[in-house]
Order: sequence, then C-alpha cells, then structure tokens
Amino acid sequence: MLKLIQLNLKMLFRQRQSLFWSLAFPIMFTLIFGFFFGGEETSVGTISVINKSETKLANRIETTLTDSDVFKIRETENIEEAEGLIETNDIVSVIYIPEDFGALSPESPKEIDVYLDPGNLTSNQVITAFLGNMLTGANFKVQNVEPIFSINEVSSTSNELTYFEFVLVGLIGLALMNSSVQGIAITMSKYREDQILKRLVTTPIKPWRFVFAEVLSRLVVNIIQITVILAIGVYGFGANITGSLWLTVVFALISAFLFQLLGFVVASFSKNADAAQGMSMTITIPMMFLAGVFFPIDQLPEWLLSVVEWLPLAPLLRMLRAVMLEAKSPFLDPINMIIVITWIVVAAAISIYRFKLTDE
Amino acid sequence: MAKKVLEIKNLTKKYGKFIAVDQINFSVDQGEVFGLLGENGAGKTTTLEMIEGLRKPTSGEIQVLGLSINKDLSEIKEKIGVQLQSSAYYSHLKLYEILELFGSFYEKHVDIDELLRSVDLFEKKNSYVGKLSGGQQQRFSIIASLINDPDLVFLDEPTTGLDPVARRNLWEIIVKIKKQGKSIILTTHYMEEAEKLCDRIAIMDNGKILKNGPVNELIREVAYPYRVDFVSKKVTTEVREKLTSCCGEILNPAGKDNYFELNIKTKANLNKAINIIQKIHPDNLSIGEANLEDLFIELTGKDIREDKGGKNA
Repeated sequence: MLKLIQLNLKMLFRQRQSLFWSLAFPIMFTLIFGFFFGGEETSVGTISVINKSETKLANRIETTLTDSDVFKIRETENIEEAEGLIETNDIVSVIYIPEDFGALSPESPKEIDVYLDPGNLTSNQVITAFLGNMLTGANFKVQNVEPIFSINEVSSTSNELTYFEFVLVGLIGLALMNSSVQGIAITMSKYREDQILKRLVTTPIKPWRFVFAEVLSRLVVNIIQITVILAIGVYGFGANITGSLWLTVVFALISAFLFQLLGFVVASFSKNADAAQGMSMTITIPMMFLAGVFFPIDQLPEWLLSVVEWLPLAPLLRMLRAVMLEAKSPFLDPINMIIVITWIVVAAAISIYRFKLTDE
Repeated sequence: MAKKVLEIKNLTKKYGKFIAVDQINFSVDQGEVFGLLGENGAGKTTTLEMIEGLRKPTSGEIQVLGLSINKDLSEIKEKIGVQLQSSAYYSHLKLYEILELFGSFYEKHVDIDELLRSVDLFEKKNSYVGKLSGGQQQRFSIIASLINDPDLVFLDEPTTGLDPVARRNLWEIIVKIKKQGKSIILTTHYMEEAEKLCDRIAIMDNGKILKNGPVNELIREVAYPYRVDFVSKKVTTEVREKLTSCCGEILNPAGKDNYFELNIKTKANLNKAINIIQKIHPDNLSIGEANLEDLFIELTGKDIREDKGGKNA
C-alpha cells in the first residue's frame, strides 16, 4: 500500500494544472483578502480635519483624531478642497471645527460640521460614534457631571479577531472542500470511465486499501494547502493564531476527510467525470457563499440560516475558528461536533453502499 | 491427460429477463491457447469477467487452477493475469511506475526491465501510456497482465482496432507467452487470429456455445470443406450443367463478371470439378479449404468481417 500512496502522490504532483488550482485558488483569495483586510492597519478610511479653533477642546479633538489608528489623515487647506476630495473618493469625510468651537462663551459655535460620503456607511458610523463619544465626554466635563452608567466591554477571547483572520479560516475550509470533493469525485469517476478501477479489482489488492491510499495521499496535499494558506496569512498579513496549531491541523484534516467522503458519494452517483464535476460544484458553490467562509452565517435571514447551519462546512468552520482563533475547546459547542459526525457517518455509509469499483 | 486450468459448468448470467450467458460449459488445458469467438454481444466478455471475478454468475460453477471462484478468489487473483478490453492505465504514471505499482499488489512479481524488453518497450520505460501508439499500448497492456508471472492469462480482444502490422506483432507476443508454458484464454472476433493462435476454440452466439473443440477438427466438420473459385469467359451451359451435377450450385457472391465459386463436400468431387474447369483454361483458378470463418458463418448464419470492429460484451 505504501507504493500506492507514494505513486498516488507522484500523480497528484504531476497533475500540474489541478495542483495549481488547488493551491493557487486559495492563495489568490488569501492574498486578495490579506491586501484588503490584513496587516496591523485598522483604518476605516482617510479623513481630513480642518480645525479653525484654538481652544483646548478643539485641539484635543484634532489631536485625538490625527493620532488615532482608526483614521488616516489627509491635510487640506479649506473646506472646498476637502469636499472635492470626498467627491473624488480620496477621503471619506471632513471634520470641520469652526472658529471658537470649545469656547464657553454663549456666542461661540456649539457644533462640529461633519461632511460624510453617503456611500461609506461603515466609515460614517465609526466617525460619528467616535466624535459623539468625545463630545459627550466634553459635555459631562463642562457640566461637571460624572457619568453613572457605562459599558464594560468584555471580549470572549483573549485577542480581538480581525475580519482577515475570520476569512483566513474560511479560506482554509474552502480550499479543503473544493480540492477534496472535486478531487475525489472527478478522479474516481475518471478511473471508472477508463476501467482503471475494474483493472484493480482483477488484482489481489483489497478495495479498502486502494481507497485508504487515495484518501491518505490527498490528506498530504491538504496539509500542504493548510500550511501555505496559514503561512501567507500569518507571515504575510499578520494573522494572529492564538489556538493550537496541531489541533488546527487535526480539525482541518477531519474537514478534508468529510469532504473526501462527499467526493466518494458524488462519484457513486455520477456516470462520468464531467457529471462528477457538475455535481461537485452543485454541492460546493452554495456552501462557499453561504456556510460562513466570507461572513458570519448569523447575518443570513433566519430561514436560510436554519438550513445553512446543518451543511457540513458551517459547523466545521465554527470548530476551526474556535480551535484556531479563540483557543477554545472544539467540544464547547457539541452540536457542531454532532453535525460533523453525522455527516461523516452518513457519507461513509452511502459511499460504502454505493461506491463500487466494478459494474456489479 | 493435460491438467485443467479452467473448468466451466453450466455458467449462466442473466440481467433481468435478458440472458447474456446461457448454460455454457467448457474447459481449458494447461499450456494451451483457448479462444472464445463470437461477434460483439455474443457474451464473450461477460463470460471472461465472471471468470476473473468482476461479475457474479447467476448460476453455474467456475474452477480456476483447481480453485473455486466463490471461495478462493483472492488466491486465484494471485495466479491469473488479466488484460481487459479497452482498459486504460494511470495517465500520470510512467510505464515502469505502473508496472511497479501493479507488481506491488502481488506476492511475487517479475523483473520489470525484463518484461519491458520482452515487448520492445524498454526504451519507453519513462514514457506515459498516452504517448504510446495503439500497438505499443496494447503490448504494454499485455505485459501489465504478466507482472505476477501468472499461470493463466486472460486477453480480451487484444488486437481490436490495431493495424495489421501491430496485430501480427501482438500475435508473436502471445505465441511467446504460450511458449513460457502459460495458458491463455483469448476472446476475439477475428477468425484469422483465432485460427493462427488458438489450440481450441468455443464459438459463442447469443450467450451460448455453439461449437467447442480443436480448431482443425472443427473446420473439418464444415459441410463444405473445399472451395474452388475461378474466372473464365468460357463457361458454357454444358460446363455449368457438369459442374452443378458433381458439385452443386455455382455461386457468384460478389456479382463480378465471369467469376464463379463452388463449395464442395468431398475430395472426389473436388477432383472432378478441377478436371472440368481446367478443360476450359480458366484465367484464374484457386482451390482452398474451408476455414474458421466458413465454420462461423455456417454455425451462426452471420459473417464477421474485420471492419465490423467495435467493442462490447
């Protein structure tokens, strides 16, 4: 069987095109998301601050905004120039602090003008919340009032998760799903079409050994996929993996194993390699967009969520994120494990019952 | 008495109401080449695949090398070599890697280089199967079935689709295998091939074996063992009457001008016919004995021509 595994690996690495896509596709996604959302930078956009006031409050607001990591600052001379920059999408907002703002005289202006780009909803929310908080604090101070009620932010994890880290786990799941479901389904269907499976049955090799060697050699490729994606995420874009790397790999391989079983299920029903490809895509594409690769599934409409959370990729990604990013036990939420085990048992049962090496 | 390497008794395969193989019986002796002949769909491949353990018989018994297919299939697989009809091999493995892989499935296997040399493929050992010509692919397919040094080799239509030179090449290989003392079961719809290679044959049609025995003996059983054909412009009514009275109907199956054909039952009648024809000084005269194709047509009423090709059970 070792020879079979060794030669299976040779074949997998010689299929340059499919190897390229099984690695290049997730790498491409990781790079795209890394460039957009990765790194230390947490900026929500570039703003311009025009401060015409010399008061302490005005200067403090200006300094806080310019020193913050939340915004990038672009210098502008006047409000007209800044408004022009919003129109050309060079900045997302202008904060105009009028002359004498912050002075306590009755004539002095009491409002800061915030010019917003209506197209940047997230930035707008952050900017108005940021300024609102600062001005509320200033109001309390002026009125000499201590706030009674406040928010105590408690994070469920030891570190703040970034969107890139969220997506990075999703991309690992996506890569494993695509390469495993499609890889097994298409290869097995092609082997059947070419009568390679039939030819193997005429030899003394036990069918389970053949299947085991196929699964094992593909898991080796999966380990390479996981390593490459993680390396790009961590070293290229500063993703913070706080959980156990070993547990991450173990759960990634459990995911790959489940998807390989689904590949065998597809191969059991497909008449040829073309049909297998179509059937695999029917299974993987909905999961790719709905099962939590790019955004949390909680954002889905309730009726859709009630379906999606039972698909194999959704609980697998939840467990992977818990293990990898939150350093939590994957067993904390047993329902995920139960769904995954159920899928494994069902897919294995269908494969054993339906997947035949010969016509009979 | 030669040792039997294969014994088939009342073997039947049904698919619903369709009977693919119908109560067939035959045996193969050690060291002989046994041919299963029949047109496409006659049941040859289904029969072979039941013997190889690829299909389950509906009923009947199969003994391979003294072992029962039902109880000792693993042991049988160690001792047989199988070349499937139109089977491909891993397209991303080189020839020697495929042989290495298949060799690893067996307890014993022969030297790979030697095997490749035996069919002039040693120079191609680092090539992929897809880069070989049709003839080379079939040669490779045959040696892949010999990797475990089998006692019994199954070759399912090994020459179908090959050009005449490649086909003759493959015949030489089959003869070589026979000379090594191995028994061979060959399916074919090429009569010439069966006549040249097989010691004994079974003619199949509609899942049944119509005739079974040594090739020469079967040919001798043909109703018209001799055939004369000639070309002449001098075939008068008198000559026609003489020929018809001694040898039966004069045929012209191809409809060619001045062409005549006679199928003759006895040697005495053959001599009479030759005497009559020689007197009119024919432009062309050929005398032949019946062959396997004549027997096949006589038995099945069907004519298998080489251009029929095609592959199936």
